[in-house]
Amino acid sequence: MVPDPDAALLVAFQGGDRSAFRTLFERHGRAMVAFCHRFVRDASRAEELAQDVFLKLHQAAPRYRPTARFRTFLYRIAANHCLNELRRGERAARAEPGRGDAPEELDLLAGSGATPEESARGRALARAVDELLARLPEKQRVAFVLCRFEGMSYEEIAAVLRTTVPAVKSLVHRATVAAAEALAPFAGGEAA
Amino acid sequence: MRHVASDLVALLDGALADEERARVEAHLAGCGPCRAQRDRIAAAIGFLASLPPPADPAPGLEERFQARLAREADRPRGLLSRVPWRIAAPLAAAGAVAAAVAVAVVRERRAEAFAAEHLELFERYELVASIGDVADEDAEVVAHLDELEGRR
Repeated sequence: MVPDPDAALLVAFQGGDRSAFRTLFERHGRAMVAFCHRFVRDASRAEELAQDVFLKLHQAAPRYRPTARFRTFLYRIAANHCLNELRRGERAARAEPGRGDAPEELDLLAGSGATPEESARGRALARAVDELLARLPEKQRVAFVLCRFEGMSYEEIAAVLRTTVPAVKSLVHRATVAAAEALAPFAGGEAA
Repeated sequence: MRHVASDLVALLDGALADEERARVEAHLAGCGPCRAQRDRIAAAIGFLASLPPPADPAPGLEERFQARLAREADRPRGLLSRVPWRIAAPLAAAGAVAAAVAVAVVRERRAEAFAAEHLELFERYELVASIGDVADEDAEVVAHLDELEGRR
């Protein structure tokens, strides 16, 4: 039984339908760039990583069994790839400090139509979240990103990370408590 | 009274079973510090949800990926990469075993050849108990024992 339309597309690709793979990229490519951006904070590197993920998906497609949800399969590849990138990045960051998006890219995070104060606050919030993500242990970071930014349930995250729901609950709890501490200055509106 | 700090994130994420949720909510009704902590966590979750997604990639994302996919497909690949993994994996494992056996055989032959070449020395000096223990440095010593003895 094919559980979701994306799984059906991947099964079609297994059968030789190349356009099915193209459709999968059209559907998930941008979301994957955004996901990868949470790990590297660099737009061009995020796109490169997202492409890597889809190349791996292309290679792994013959091993896919439609008993697993497509999104779980895709994000498992992506999470592993981003974790590896984090490990490589930690080495690179020591050699190349200050890597990350240019200030004008952070400006985009503040949103359009905002007042200068709102823009400044949005940038400060985005920076605080970036710094928080950089401080989190890698598994907490992946679980946190999947939960807070990808909107996954604890069960889905457990399937992606091949772990248990209680383990995910613990990872998400610790990361979110760390977020509450890091973002506390924004609660009173004084941070900018 | 047992505080419920460790359940607050799961409560806000809607990830508690009904019974657990009822227990945590009952505790919150009478515990100011836990309510304050819940509010701090809820505010943080709200801030995170308010963040806009990272900026969209530059136009042409699909085209750039398709071009890279085509480049990767054109790249010359090794024989094993063209073989299905179910066949490639046992082949690779068998290859590794064969290589290990070949290395062991070559080393043994070299040891035998060395022993044959230096049989005279081995017979003359009963210093070497086993040819398996002969390293190159040992052989050097054995080969020059005459000279070393002569210096005494």
